[in-house]
Amino acid sequence: MIAEPSHAIPSRGTIARRLLANRSAVAAIALLLVIVILCAAAPLFAPYDPIAQPDIIRGKDLPPSALHPFGTDGYSRDVLSRVLYGGRLSLSVALVATLVSITLGTAYGAVAGYAGGIVESVMMRILDALLSIPRLLVLIAIFATWNDLHAKAFVIIVGLTGWYSLSRIVRGEVLAIKGEEFVMSARALGAGRTRILLRHILPNVLTPIIVAAALGVGHVILLEAGLSYLGVGLQPPTPSWGNIIQDVSATQVATVWWLAFFPGMAIILTVMAFNVLGDALREALEPRGMRT
Amino acid sequence: MRQLAALAAILLTAIACEGGNKPSLGDAAATPGGTLVIASAGEPDVLFPPLTATITGRQITELVYDHLADLGNSLNTVGDADFKPHLAKSWAWSPDSLSIQFHLDPAAKWHDGVPVRASDVAFTYAIYKDTANASPLAPLIADIDSVTAPDSLTAVFWFNKRSPLQFFEATNPMVIIPEHALHGIRGQTLRTAPFARAPIGSGRYRFVEWNPGSSVEIAADRANYLGRPNLNRVIWTIAPDPNVAFTRLIGGEADFLEQLTPPELSQLATHNDIRVVLLPGLEYNFIQFNLRDPKNAARPHDVLGDRGVRRALTMAVDRSRIVQSVYDSLAAPALGPTVRAYPTTDTTLQEIPYSPDDARRLLDSLGWRVTGADSIRRRNGHPLEFTLTVPGSSKNRVNMAVIIQDQLKQVGAKLNIDKLDYAAFITRETQRKFDAMMGGWHVDASPAGIRQTWGSAGARAGGSNYGSYTNAAFDAQVDSALSSMTLDDRRARFKRAYQTIIDDAPAIWLAEPKSAVAINHRIHTPALRPDSWWSSIGEWWVPPAERIARDSVNPRR
Amino acid sequence: MARYLLGRLLQVAVVVVLVATITFFLIHLAPGDPFAEAVANPDVTEKVRAHWREAYGLDRPLPEQYVKYVASIARGDLGWSFSAQRPVADELRDKLPNTMFLMALALLGSFAVGIGAAVLQVMKPGSLTDRVIGGLSLFLFSLPEFWLALMMIFLAYRFPIFHIPIGGMIDSTAHSSLGLGGRIADVARHAVLPVATLTLILSAVVARYQRAALLDVLPAEYVKTARAKGVPERTIVRHHALRNALLPTISLFGLAFPALLTGAVYVEKVFSWPGMGQVIINSIGSRDYPLLMASVIVGSIVVALGSLLADLLYMVADPRLAYDR
Repeated sequence: MIAEPSHAIPSRGTIARRLLANRSAVAAIALLLVIVILCAAAPLFAPYDPIAQPDIIRGKDLPPSALHPFGTDGYSRDVLSRVLYGGRLSLSVALVATLVSITLGTAYGAVAGYAGGIVESVMMRILDALLSIPRLLVLIAIFATWNDLHAKAFVIIVGLTGWYSLSRIVRGEVLAIKGEEFVMSARALGAGRTRILLRHILPNVLTPIIVAAALGVGHVILLEAGLSYLGVGLQPPTPSWGNIIQDVSATQVATVWWLAFFPGMAIILTVMAFNVLGDALREALEPRGMRT
Repeated sequence: MRQLAALAAILLTAIACEGGNKPSLGDAAATPGGTLVIASAGEPDVLFPPLTATITGRQITELVYDHLADLGNSLNTVGDADFKPHLAKSWAWSPDSLSIQFHLDPAAKWHDGVPVRASDVAFTYAIYKDTANASPLAPLIADIDSVTAPDSLTAVFWFNKRSPLQFFEATNPMVIIPEHALHGIRGQTLRTAPFARAPIGSGRYRFVEWNPGSSVEIAADRANYLGRPNLNRVIWTIAPDPNVAFTRLIGGEADFLEQLTPPELSQLATHNDIRVVLLPGLEYNFIQFNLRDPKNAARPHDVLGDRGVRRALTMAVDRSRIVQSVYDSLAAPALGPTVRAYPTTDTTLQEIPYSPDDARRLLDSLGWRVTGADSIRRRNGHPLEFTLTVPGSSKNRVNMAVIIQDQLKQVGAKLNIDKLDYAAFITRETQRKFDAMMGGWHVDASPAGIRQTWGSAGARAGGSNYGSYTNAAFDAQVDSALSSMTLDDRRARFKRAYQTIIDDAPAIWLAEPKSAVAINHRIHTPALRPDSWWSSIGEWWVPPAERIARDSVNPRR
Repeated sequence: MARYLLGRLLQVAVVVVLVATITFFLIHLAPGDPFAEAVANPDVTEKVRAHWREAYGLDRPLPEQYVKYVASIARGDLGWSFSAQRPVADELRDKLPNTMFLMALALLGSFAVGIGAAVLQVMKPGSLTDRVIGGLSLFLFSLPEFWLALMMIFLAYRFPIFHIPIGGMIDSTAHSSLGLGGRIADVARHAVLPVATLTLILSAVVARYQRAALLDVLPAEYVKTARAKGVPERTIVRHHALRNALLPTISLFGLAFPALLTGAVYVEKVFSWPGMGQVIINSIGSRDYPLLMASVIVGSIVVALGSLLADLLYMVADPRLAYDR
């Protein structure tokens, strides 16, 4: 057995070092850790049951106070607890949907790039068409007509509509790497297609995949929030960051601002952290990443 | 607490100015003008009076069309003492009281110039009555046997039997529609006929235009036989979102908004240009169960067809707390399918008491048990789950739905909420494609409407008893109450009828809201009639000194 | 060139057919067949129903219905909307310009603001200005549009200085009585908040993109030459780098269309702006599926044409480009 030829990506240690040298990346990671821990362990941190309506007469629409740091909603539910539990749902939806997208996008791009020829050009034409479909409109159409969908179906459908741009990038990278020496030599050594794809090419296209994953999670969080705000996303009473804000509209926001403000801030902080992380990862992973 | 105190203060002032303004001499009549913009949360369904099922539709049609006679603000529906002539200048009873002759105003003309004739009255009755047209109002005129037109200005109403409500029945449910404008259209196609969306009436306002989803405009009929009304135009601006309607009111884009919510009332306290008028409640709302399978009306509903289940669900809902939470002091828990303002309503009715424990026990005994980890009851594998259809345009009803969803969960019943636009909600309702719906009835001055809304007569297709509740005993009790001649006896008989329907639980009776309306100070009104504030719009006015830009706009066409 | 254009137009057609296919099967396979429900709606006239039966072959098998549906869309017959009580095409023809108006203003505004911000940033990469603008655009980039719209309303309420209207496109009751100037002012006042919301969010996208593009160009040979000649940094950025970095910006122009349309849906809901977004939201609430389907298809056409326009601009800006894509 001959040792595998060395790959062009920076080692794990280098990536970690570069990331840690980036102060905003460190802050983003720390923030994400805090948010993920708070939401994942929501039952531990949430002061109240997020769905219970303890006192619908005296406990509703209370502004932020020591008892209810984020206030209460029109049904006396504690907004902080709802934000924590909502994050659980929103984050896991975003993570799983992104995972679906990443898997599909990578597979499609890699196959297209590696296959070449007619297969590739057909696959890329299909991709062009898919890329031109406005994602939000199609998702609205799907969820408005199939209005009894569960969170699982929601996740899969969101994931199924989010892989196009990644597969284009992956295909580009695969094309570039296909001709490189270490792939040639692996092929010369008699390695099969699948083996070459999995062992030699995939590790080299990890960069765009990881970056796309980080940015994708942020994007899906925004998408879920938007769809739920429009009333076609995740359905109440189970809170998600989007549907907590669902019922707050124009005139109400002037009086019960906390209902929109806090879940919104949770979304923004999380999405920002993922975006910073995505940017930082790109810089740390890209060999030519000389951007400041 | 402070919010509550503030609200109480608003309510006091509101009651204080309920009397309306008095026109100062001459200023209104001298210079007609003004535009009234009503912010409406719901689009009218159809502007054809026999088929109109929406309150907005009723408001518009009752201004464009005329009643034979108008009920006074006293709301005394017995006999004819408190009625004022309208399209009929006068009337006379037959000696046996089984018929009434109405003499039409000879000057009355339709908006297209054709004179109003007695044959139109007979035609109107035929349209309302004909089962092929499926008018939801048909049960309200059940005691009228026929209408004849011996000459062009005399219409005679013949009754099956004597009752205290004969005159009311002849004049209140129907407005007179023009025979010549309908071109012989009948049955199913009436609803979609062009005339049903562009009415030609004889009222003091004529129809101008309807922009679906945005507005309906009517304008003063300058040549009207009852005199030109003061306001030039009345416009309903339709906002699918109740918040938008409220925004239009406080932004000055609209002058009038009804069904105010408590938060809106407290917000209005800071707006000096808007006054609030409280009218006694002539409205009650409820969760109506569909007793028939929405997919196949021949079968009972698989969950809600069972009286025991409906009673258990009712026990699980804490109505008085819900009403207090959502309406504050603006509503009382509903007693049943009636309102307290009726002298015939006995307030000592036996409600199904709130008791989640009893609800659980009852469901257990009916075979609905919690088996899985999701704590939803099941019977033979079928979950205790149903969908509540709610009009998204009513914030109050949406709020109640969300609270009830939580309370039903406590006893192991799963409620899904389906929010729809008002028009789509009405469609589901009238087509009976729902499990349960968050409904409400704005009642008219007489308790007789219950035949239409909860009696067997309204249960067939086209009727307004959308849940298809039928109970022969209840029908008989209502009939006996309606034909009783003394108030005490009627109250006692109605009590029996109400008790029957409450015990059968075809609905969870929720709130009986007081009607709080907000009016821009510019708009001056006489005292408003409690069951229909719009009936006096012909008398409303804007003094020239207070007019704004839109008041001097002349109507199109 | 002609061949390329033809190919691109064909691609637009493919996208439209694809979206039509997706929406068709979505609605017909959904539980309870909502389309059948729409046909049964009592507000639909018998004439329209007969037309539907004929045009869509409602009693025929699904594949045949599909073919008929696509064919009628190709003819421009988008169906009948029972909630608006008129042909879908008429409804969309009225509402689409309102959305385009928002999109156009926001597009202009955000490219001006975004490119300006990026130029400021790359004058001195890593400076305080760069970092502040970078942070700000990152913040805006991470905002949900509807949330920003709600906060705008909150601010307009709390600081009612200019009495900016917070809903609608016109003062529906006074508009018809105003003169031309008054009408324009009326629309302009109503457009302030929706346009501001869309512009803020999109300029963050533009700024982030443009900054990266500028930084890619700055180390290039001709910039080095200019530097060596002693041309001031300001002039280099403005005259040399910016011009070259505009090419990626043009492709961003194409990418901006979907983002703008998405943003418009949210913004129109919050501000009750009577455009395509509002039509889509209302068609969901009123279960008006013919209207919903057609809106989604028309939305896709707008986006596809937007990216075609961007491609054409790209070719104009850089004639060296071969049309071999």
